[in-house]
Amino acid sequence: MSCVAKLSDMVSGFHIPGSGDADTNALQLGFSPEVILYPETVEEISRVLDFASRNGIRIFPFAGGTKLFLGNPVSTIGAALSLKRLCRVLFHEPSDMVSTVECGMEIREFQKIIGRENQVFPVDPPRLACGATIGGLVSTNLCGPMSSRYGTCRELILGAKAVRADGEIINLGGKVVKNVAGYDIPKLMVGSLGTLCVLAEVTFRLYPRQPSSRTLVVGFDDHDSCSRAARSILNADVIPTCFEILDEKLSSEFSATRGAKRSVLLRLDSFEDAVVEQIKQVKEITSGESASFVETDDEFSRDLWDSVREFPFSNEVSFSSKLTLPIEDSIKVLYDIESASELSGVEVRCLSRPIRGIVLVSVSGESSRAHGTAHFLENLADVLGGRIMFSGIRHELREKIKTWGNFGEALLLMKNIKRRFDPGNILPGEKIFDAD
Amino acid sequence: MRSQTSKRTGEWKSRIASELIEILGTDAVISSEDELIAYESDGLTGYRVKPVFVVLPSSTEQVSQVVKLCNREEMPFVPRGAGTGLSGGALPSREGIVVSLSRMNRILEVDIPNRVVVVEPGVVNISVTNAVSAEGFYYAPDPSSQIVCTIGGNVAENSGGVHCLKYGVTTNHVLGVEMVLPDGAIVKLGGMTLESFGYDLLSLVVGSEGLLGIVTKVFLRIIKKPQMVKTLFASFERIEDAGASVSAIISSGVIPAGMEIMDNLSINAVESTVGAGYPTDAGAILLVELDGPGAEVNVQTPTVSEILKGNGAIEIKVAVDENERQLFWKGRKSAFAAMGRISPGYYVQDGVIPRSSLARVLGEIGELGKRYGLRVANVFHAGDGNLHPLVLYDPEIKGESEKAEELSGEILRVCVDAGGSITGEHGVGFDKKRFLPLMFSEQEIDTMNLVRCAFDEKGLCNPGKVFPTPRTCVEPGMQNHSSKPPPKEMGEFF
Ligand SMILES: Cc1cc2nc3c(=O)[nH]c(=O)nc-3n(C[C@H](O)[C@H](O)[C@H](O)COP(=O)(O)OP(=O)(O)OC[C@H]3O[C@@H](n4cnc5c(N)ncnc54)[C@H](O)[C@@H]3O)c2cc1C
Repeated sequence: MSCVAKLSDMVSGFHIPGSGDADTNALQLGFSPEVILYPETVEEISRVLDFASRNGIRIFPFAGGTKLFLGNPVSTIGAALSLKRLCRVLFHEPSDMVSTVECGMEIREFQKIIGRENQVFPVDPPRLACGATIGGLVSTNLCGPMSSRYGTCRELILGAKAVRADGEIINLGGKVVKNVAGYDIPKLMVGSLGTLCVLAEVTFRLYPRQPSSRTLVVGFDDHDSCSRAARSILNADVIPTCFEILDEKLSSEFSATRGAKRSVLLRLDSFEDAVVEQIKQVKEITSGESASFVETDDEFSRDLWDSVREFPFSNEVSFSSKLTLPIEDSIKVLYDIESASELSGVEVRCLSRPIRGIVLVSVSGESSRAHGTAHFLENLADVLGGRIMFSGIRHELREKIKTWGNFGEALLLMKNIKRRFDPGNILPGEKIFDAD
Repeated sequence: MRSQTSKRTGEWKSRIASELIEILGTDAVISSEDELIAYESDGLTGYRVKPVFVVLPSSTEQVSQVVKLCNREEMPFVPRGAGTGLSGGALPSREGIVVSLSRMNRILEVDIPNRVVVVEPGVVNISVTNAVSAEGFYYAPDPSSQIVCTIGGNVAENSGGVHCLKYGVTTNHVLGVEMVLPDGAIVKLGGMTLESFGYDLLSLVVGSEGLLGIVTKVFLRIIKKPQMVKTLFASFERIEDAGASVSAIISSGVIPAGMEIMDNLSINAVESTVGAGYPTDAGAILLVELDGPGAEVNVQTPTVSEILKGNGAIEIKVAVDENERQLFWKGRKSAFAAMGRISPGYYVQDGVIPRSSLARVLGEIGELGKRYGLRVANVFHAGDGNLHPLVLYDPEIKGESEKAEELSGEILRVCVDAGGSITGEHGVGFDKKRFLPLMFSEQEIDTMNLVRCAFDEKGLCNPGKVFPTPRTCVEPGMQNHSSKPPPKEMGEFF
C-alpha cells in the first residue's frame, strides 16, 4: 500500500486530484497534492499527522481556500488536508458571550448562528462572502475594517484545540475572557499560516450587537484637508467601528465617494441617539475642511463596505501589499505613495486604516516599474519603523519581491519555534520562511 | 547539579562578585546577607529563598552582560520588578541571582501623535498615565497595585485591572518589547505599530512570567481619556441578583468599563475600616462604571439603571460628581487592605469562571468555607468572571494557614470544574504550578515547554516556576516518536 493510500484510509473522505469532481476550493491550491483528505474529527487529523510525521509526508492544511494567496508558495506537498467537514458550532453560551467553533465553518454561517442571540463575531475579512472559514481567518489574521474597533482575531481568540505536527492533540487557552495560565499559545497560532499546528477548534469572545448603525462618507478636495480631518476625528469623542481613508483612485471607484480627491468612510454603531450625536460631531469638526457628506444606513452602505473589505487582494494587479505603520504615518503616507506612483507611472490604489496604523496598497503596471514601487514601499515601511507584507505577486515578479519584507531580529526565534513544534517541517514552513 | 553546587565556594562567590562589580559598579551589586533579605520574597510572603546576589543594572547592555555571565556559570537568574506579584513569580532561585530592574525606570519617549510611550521596565505603572494625562491620554491597564508595580512586572504577568472588561489587559496594550534573551542576546519584538507579521512572539512574552528573558524596554499604547465617566452603585439583598445584573447589562449591548461586586463580608470589612458608605446589611453591592463619548454614556446610564432595578436592586445611586465617584470606589480599592483589619491573615485567590456560573460557584465557595470552618470574603471583577476570594485565617492558630491554603486550592478546582481558569491576572508563578495540571494535560504542558525551549534551552531564566515538574529541552526531533509506540490501529502498517 502506498503511503498516500494509507492516509486516505485514516479519514472519512478523500479525493485524488484528477479523478472525478474536484473540490472547487482545492483547485486553487496552486500545487497538486497526491491526495486531498477530508477528516471529520480531530482524531482523524491526529492520525494523519502522526503517520505523516513518522513517514516524512508533508501536509498542507486548508479550508475555504479563499486566502491561499498569502505567504510564499509551497514546495512539495504529499497531502492537502481540508478542514471543511469540521464545521459545527460546538459551544455557545450566550450569557458568557463565548463560543467554540470548528475551523471548517464558514465565518458568515457562524455569524448567522450567534446572531440569533443578538451577538456578533466582529470580523469582516476579505472573501467573507466567498466561503472564508474560521480556520483561515485565524491562520492568516487578515481582518477587515471592523478591526478599528474590535481589533483582530488576536484580540478575540480565547482558546484553541489544535493538532501538533506529531499528531498530539492539544487544547490551549480556555473558555473564559480572562486567563493567564500558561503561555498564550492560541495567540501564537494567529497568523501562523498553518505552519505550526493544524487548528481544529477555536474559542472566541463575542460582542453584543449594537442597536443602531450608520455610515458617513466624507469627501475632501485635497490630501491636507483630509489628513487634518482624519486627525481631528481620531482625537474626537467618537468611537468608530470602521474608519478608512481612500485615495483619489479608490474614491473614484465607489459611487458614494466619486469626485473626491480623498474620502473618509466611517461606520458608527451604538444606541441610536449616540450614533446621531457622533455623526453630528464628525460633521462639525470636519466642516471647516470644505468637506462633503453622504450619510447612509441601508443596502447602499452594505455594498460599500462589502467592496472596501475586499481591497486590495485582487488577481488583476501586479501585487498587493499591507503595511503596518505608526498611526500618524499611516495617514501621511497616502500622499507619498500617490506621488511616487505618479512619478514611476504605475497604477496605485491606496487605503489607510489609521486606528490600526494599516495601509493597504495595490499596484499594477509594467513589471520593472511595479518592482520599483515594491522596493519603494519596502523602504517606506522600514524607514518609518513599520513592516510590510506582499501578496498576489504576479508570476514574473515572484523572484524579485520577498513576501514578508524583513522579520528582523525575531527571525531566529521564529525559526526556533518552528523547529520545536515541527522538526520535520511536515507543515508548510516555507509559507513564512525563505529557503536559507 | 551536584558538581555545580560544589563550585559555589566562597572563592567562587567573591570571583563572581568582582566580575559583577566590573560590569555594574559597586553600588549595583548586593551580596550582604542583611540586604538580601529584602529580596527573599515577592508579594506572596509565605515563600522565601535567599539569592546569592541581587544586581541592579541600569542599561540593557548591562543586563545582557550579567545574563551572559549567568550562562557561563550556569547560574539561574530571576528578573524582578517591584516585587508586588502575588504568585511567587519573583521568588529567587537557590544559588541564583536576582536581576532587579528598579533602576531602569526612565520614560524614554512620549509620542502623542502616534499614541505610544516607550519606557524602561522599572517604570511604575501609574507614571505612564501621569506622563500623558495633561495631553488627555492614559495607559489603560490599571492593576490595583498600580502606584507601585512596574511595567516589566505587568508585561510578565499580563496584568489586568478594574477596567479591563472593556479595554483589555496588558497584552492588548503592549506594541513591542526589547529584551535580553536567556543567552544574553538582545532582540526587539514588535515596536511602534499595532500589527506585525510572522509568529506573534510578543504574545508569548507578555504573560511569560519572566521565563523567556528579561524585558528591557516596552512600547506601550496609550488611549484617549473618555469624554464622560459615570459610576453607578447598586445594593442587592442577594449576591445572585448582582451577578444576574452583570450578564443582563452586557446582553443589552452595553460594555461597561468595569463591573465590580463585593459580598456582605467584604462590605462589612471595608465599612469597619474606611467607611465608604456601603449598606452593611446588603447581601452584595455592584459598581458599574460606564465611559465613552458623552452621547453614548448618557443613553447607557438609564438603560443600566433599569436593568439593575429589574434584577432586584434595593438602592441605585449614580455618582453626581468626581468626589462621590471616588467614594464609591474607595471601598472597593481598599478591600484587600481592609481584610487585614478584620482578620490577622488572609490568602488572596485569583480564579476565573464563566459569568453564567457565578451564582453556583459562589454557593460552592460558601459551602467550602463552612466545611473548612473559615470565612471567605468575595471581591471580584464581575464583568470578566475574575474572582478574588479572600480566605481569612489566623496564623497563630496551629494548622489554620495550611487549612486556608487547602481551601484556596479547592476553590480553584471549583473554578476549573465550572469551565474557568486557575488564574486571571496574578499568574501561575511558584504558588500555583501544582494546579496547572487541573487545566492542562501533560502533552499540553509539554507544548508550553516547546515555547520555553525555543527561548531558553538551558532553562536558566526563572526556573522552578509555572511548570509543575521540571522539564528539560530535548533536541528537536528526538522527543517526537522515539519513545512513542505506534497507535494500535496502525500496527498493520509497521
Ligand atoms: C495590593 C495588590 C493589588 C494587586 N492588584 C492587582 C490587580 O488588580 N491586577 C493584577 O493583575 N495584579 C494585581 N496585583 C499583582 C501584582 O501587582 C502584579 O502582578 C504586577 O504586575 C507585578 O509587578 P511587579 O513590578 O511588582 O513585578 P514582580 O512582582 O517584581 O515580578 C512579577 C513577575 O514578573 C517578572 N518580571 C518582572 N520584571 C520583569 C522584566 N523586566 N522582564 C521579565 N520579567 C520580569 C518576575 O520575574 C516575576 O515573575 C496586586 C498586588 C498587590 C500586592
